[in-house]
Amino acid sequence: MAEATKQERNLQKILLEKVAEAIYAIADAKHVDQVIPSIHSVAVLLFPVDPSLFSGTFELTFCIWSATQVCSSVASSVDDRNDWLETFYRGVAFPTFARVLLLDVASDWLSCFPISVKKHLYDVFFLDGPVIEVVQVLVPFLHRVENGGFDTNSVQTNVERLLILCLLENAGLIKITKEIGDSYQGDISRNGSLKSLLSRLSQILTSIPDKARLKSPPLLSSHLYFKHITDQLLQILDDRASCTEANSTVIVLSFVGEIFSRICRRGLSDLLLSRVTPHVLAHVRRLLNSKMGSIEMETFQLDPTPQIWSKTMKAVTDPYAVEKMAEQVLHQLYAEHASDVEAFWTIWTLFHRNVIHQASVRSIFVDKFLLWKVFPIRCLRWILQFSVLECPPLTNTLAKGDVVQGLLETTQRLASVWSKGEFLQSVPFEQQAYITAALGLCLENMSREELDRTKDVMHSILQGVSCRLENPGDLVRKMASSIAFMFSKVIDPKNPLYLDDSFTGNAIDWEFGLQTAVGGVPSVTNTMESEDGETKTSASLTEVNGSSRRDKEKKNRKSKNISDFVLADPDEIVDLATLNCETESDKDDDNASVSSDNSSVTSLEPYDLLDDDKDLGKQFTHLVDVVGALRKTDDVDGVEKAIFVAEKLVRASPDELTHIAGDLARTLIQVRCSDITIEGEEDSAEEKRQRALIALLVTRPFESLETLNSSLYSPNVDVSQRIMILDVMAEAARELANSKTLKPKDDSRGPLISSISDPQPWYLPSNASTPWKKVSETGSFHLNWANRFERELQSKPGQTKKGKSRRWSLKPADRDQNSTDWSQNRFPLYAAAFMLPAMKEFDKKRHGVDLLGRDFIVLGKLVHMLGVCMQCASMHPEASVLAISLLDMLQRREVCNHPEAYVRRAVLFAASSVLVALNPSYIVSTLVEGNLDLSRALEWIRTWALQIADSDIDRDCYTMALSCLQLHAEMALQTSRALESTGGSSGSSTGSVNISLPSVISKLTSINIKLPSSNVHL
Amino acid sequence: MSKRPPPDPVAVLRGHRHSVMDVSFHPSKSLLFTGSADGELRVWDTLQHRAVSSACAHSRAHGVLAVAASPWLGENKIISQGRDGTVKCWDIEDGGLSRDPLLILNTSAYHFCNFSLVKKPTTSLIKDAGVQSEDSNEPDAGDTRDVQSTDESERSVDDSGLLQGRDHAEGTTYVAVAGQQPSEVEIWDLNTGDKIIQLPQASPDNSPNDSTKARGMCMAVQLFCPPESQGFLHVLAGYEDGSTLLWDIRNAMIPLTSVKFHSEPVLSLSVASSCDGGISAGADDKIVMYNLNHSTGSCTMRKEITLERPGVSGTSIRPDGKIAATAGWDHRVRVYNYRKGNALAILKYHRATCNAVSYSPDCELMASASDDATVALWKLYPPQKSL
Repeated sequence: MAEATKQERNLQKILLEKVAEAIYAIADAKHVDQVIPSIHSVAVLLFPVDPSLFSGTFELTFCIWSATQVCSSVASSVDDRNDWLETFYRGVAFPTFARVLLLDVASDWLSCFPISVKKHLYDVFFLDGPVIEVVQVLVPFLHRVENGGFDTNSVQTNVERLLILCLLENAGLIKITKEIGDSYQGDISRNGSLKSLLSRLSQILTSIPDKARLKSPPLLSSHLYFKHITDQLLQILDDRASCTEANSTVIVLSFVGEIFSRICRRGLSDLLLSRVTPHVLAHVRRLLNSKMGSIEMETFQLDPTPQIWSKTMKAVTDPYAVEKMAEQVLHQLYAEHASDVEAFWTIWTLFHRNVIHQASVRSIFVDKFLLWKVFPIRCLRWILQFSVLECPPLTNTLAKGDVVQGLLETTQRLASVWSKGEFLQSVPFEQQAYITAALGLCLENMSREELDRTKDVMHSILQGVSCRLENPGDLVRKMASSIAFMFSKVIDPKNPLYLDDSFTGNAIDWEFGLQTAVGGVPSVTNTMESEDGETKTSASLTEVNGSSRRDKEKKNRKSKNISDFVLADPDEIVDLATLNCETESDKDDDNASVSSDNSSVTSLEPYDLLDDDKDLGKQFTHLVDVVGALRKTDDVDGVEKAIFVAEKLVRASPDELTHIAGDLARTLIQVRCSDITIEGEEDSAEEKRQRALIALLVTRPFESLETLNSSLYSPNVDVSQRIMILDVMAEAARELANSKTLKPKDDSRGPLISSISDPQPWYLPSNASTPWKKVSETGSFHLNWANRFERELQSKPGQTKKGKSRRWSLKPADRDQNSTDWSQNRFPLYAAAFMLPAMKEFDKKRHGVDLLGRDFIVLGKLVHMLGVCMQCASMHPEASVLAISLLDMLQRREVCNHPEAYVRRAVLFAASSVLVALNPSYIVSTLVEGNLDLSRALEWIRTWALQIADSDIDRDCYTMALSCLQLHAEMALQTSRALESTGGSSGSSTGSVNISLPSVISKLTSINIKLPSSNVHL
Repeated sequence: MSKRPPPDPVAVLRGHRHSVMDVSFHPSKSLLFTGSADGELRVWDTLQHRAVSSACAHSRAHGVLAVAASPWLGENKIISQGRDGTVKCWDIEDGGLSRDPLLILNTSAYHFCNFSLVKKPTTSLIKDAGVQSEDSNEPDAGDTRDVQSTDESERSVDDSGLLQGRDHAEGTTYVAVAGQQPSEVEIWDLNTGDKIIQLPQASPDNSPNDSTKARGMCMAVQLFCPPESQGFLHVLAGYEDGSTLLWDIRNAMIPLTSVKFHSEPVLSLSVASSCDGGISAGADDKIVMYNLNHSTGSCTMRKEITLERPGVSGTSIRPDGKIAATAGWDHRVRVYNYRKGNALAILKYHRATCNAVSYSPDCELMASASDDATVALWKLYPPQKSL
């Protein structure tokens, strides 16, 4: 031993001398021909250098030849050379010489080397030596920046080239594992230091892409680099799986695991797993195919590959890396369309040991992946199967193992999270759907007894279902009904509960149609449109929400109804025939008497007695009758008929309507459509009722609004009626705004009061003898915001125009354009009556009325209705006045920061409507007057919308907030333009305005108001 | 079973501006009288299907409640009842009404009960009408006789003051209406314009009145003269509570019998020409065919027909007693075999409540009056001409 070390020391000494010689020679060299021999002098000691390979110049060959002669005496045999090699690389000689090679030679001489020399004399030092040492030496030079007079660029290029050659092209990692194996076999005592060495090595290896320069070759970019590395690692694992004897396997696998975990740490888990997953999956498939489906746990436990893999994964101790890997495995399996069985075994192969031994990994699967992440539903099934059910699945369904404790705990945890109202309000929609699906799948695998064993799952589920059923969101309710369905199936499999008519089968779409919705962000107009669409259905929806029991009763009732109907069929002809047969007995004497009367029985042959009651029904002709009929709630037919006829009568607008409008409105609100109609026809009656109310509001706004507003907050109506009232008001506002009535144009202007519904807009000069017409221009409003108007001047007296046109016939007098005019938008006249009473009392909590709390749907509808009203009053002076009070209401914290996204959406809609509705000239005038209420409120819209866009969990809120900001910007632009024009024109005329203007303008630029375009349809 | 679709009306008479309340055929001529809720009384030609004349018989506000013509009344007279508390008798001159009524009975009754003229089992007359419907001379002769006899009876009524004892009631013209007290039935003499009797007759102790008052208003009344009664009038009266009373005016204190076929007010009572039975209907969903047995003074149900939609405002039995028709609130006119009681046809034409049906004396035509201001003429099961 001592002799050995002495010999070693001796060798080292000689080597160092040689190296020192070479270094000096290189340093003193004046020509490349002097450098090569000195390198050669070292190389020849270590490597079998074949001089014939150098096909360079004569001098070079000569030099090398002479050097070979010199050295050949020193190192001649292969054994000696191996000793030299080992000593050279293990000692300080290599780092020292490598430094000279990498810095001095690379920067000064390397470019002059012939290619063969470079390859066989220079590169061999790095390629033929032990990779572990080489890498440790090479990598630091990747980014070493020293101003020692070296050409940094060429030095680094050279190092990069060498690394690529060494690690990627010559499969350096495989070599490394061999070296590890060798050294492991060599001395067991150095295991501890080996571990730390490997850890360092893996760190160095994975840091290479980070250290590489920007200009480095693409192979060193992290993507390609790690791809190659991963491939090598996979090959290593395969090799290890095929030869089981190597007892260095453990240390190799831990090295591989360490690299895996470091790759994941560097954020490249997707890349890693995109190579690993197919690899494992392919193996699993192979295994499954070989066993033809009958898979036992032992098959996998005894197979070497899973063992290798699980040992590797066990080495990945970093929980973060495990989490990333698990996540990626799931996604990759999903992308690979793995079947449930394949996926399970793949996940099992990779993670089962981690899950058993590491609590943190277990919680990743059971907690994080179920509660915090969102995966596709198929992945969710795999997660549940693997981590909760903990047994291999059957072909297509989840299978339940013997151990159910995990399932119960998970279900309990899921249910308690799911049941919370805050969860519903604060979690994005996709995640809600995901957790709902998780809970549903868990329930699917539970039995009644197991459910009883859990503490409060039942309670939580009931609570969650009930709070979801009240939600305005369609999908949220669908989630509730799906869970309720699963739950009822657990309780009583024979009697499942259908809360929703729409699904009847046993299969539930746990994805809730989200997959398609996630695809693209819906455009703003669509979102708002759908908001509008909602209004129609919501009134009936709240009724649909009613208890499940009622639904069932309805079903029974319906079937009963049908049978009754069949029995009591009025058209039944058979009945009469049998009747005839029954009276056969007295036919004889009848005949006798008939014959005595000289007429035959045949003359009294009955006609077809078919009778239907389509034409029937009392036709109401007076509204008083309608009201009377509506009040008689026990006369179902009468109420139905009254509802059906009400709209027509109201539209006819008889004189009595004025007096009866209030009563009619009240009775129409109180009527319960669902009670009077048979199942399935509620909607038509409901629609007729709403149409009638709309007609009433349109024809007699003031009278009916009084009633509607008072009943809106009265304790006598329920939520659905409140919603209906608000819907109806919104619809009526729209209709009033869009009403087009052809009415004769009165030439004489109104003497005293000019209402806004005058044929001529208020902003036109009124003293014109011929009407002004707006010049129609193409382009949107903001492009030509200053609308131009023109009129035809009357010809001067005495001036005659000769006719120019020829007509085939006389123009019909009644189609004369001048005699009639379109009158539009009657709404502004009533805007205040629509909005102010509704806004007045929204925050008062009374018996049965709690808008800010429980009845948030009503609040949302109210705000939406107010927004619609603002839109309908667009550009009219009334809008500006009402906007301030509306914005006051919106600014209330309980409203604008309402926990329910539904309300926030409505507020965003209303705020956007305000932005659209305000006339820029009005904003300017308030600014000029120094009244900053409005500008403050508008600024609030902007900041608040920004805040929503930043932080809201609801995607619709986000998109609406963005469009709101856009509208705000547009409004600000228009206002500033208007302000400029005002400043230009009025500045010269009035001094006072002139003085106040600059400050206003500066304020304006800071608060950044925005302006509307009439073309924007919300 | 036949699948023939029910027939359409052969003619529709339009012209009324308001609900047509009652319809009546002229006993011999091809004329039809209709009265509407705005007080207009129209005369129509049933061959040409046109209005012959129109007159404002009653005030616009009250309207005509009923109109009737009868062979016993006279060839050129009709009477109309208004809701203004009067019954007016009119002369028909050249198809038009006289300017002023011949007679006004101030019954002071403001109710819904149609009056009723006397119906008699004059089989001979019906046969005459059936055979010689085209010949107008023969009825004319009969009519003059009627008028004469009316004069006689009038005198006798005046003289005797005891109408129960009249045995030649053939010529008298009485009309029964629900009286000033709606629970009472009054019988008026159309010639003199006097009220003759009221049923139940007011008695000193007033005890029978209470029982009739409990029945509510009289809603329908039918005056007839059965052959077995030696010319004494009988009255069928239907009340608000659905009961029907049969009176013999010889005993005005107590009704002969009292039956309750209906659960709702009786709105229409018809007696067949033979006076041995009839048909009644009301606001409930039943039509009842009943028999009258004058020897025992009883009324028994012969057949009950249940309707699917309640409410019949008018009934009529064809003079030959073969078929009967009902005017329903459900806008339908229903035709039944009167003998067997089975349904024969459901006639759908009217678009509003039907108020009355009536058969022509020759059994050829049926007229229906409705709230939709139209009168429809139907020709169903025309009688076969006798060989």
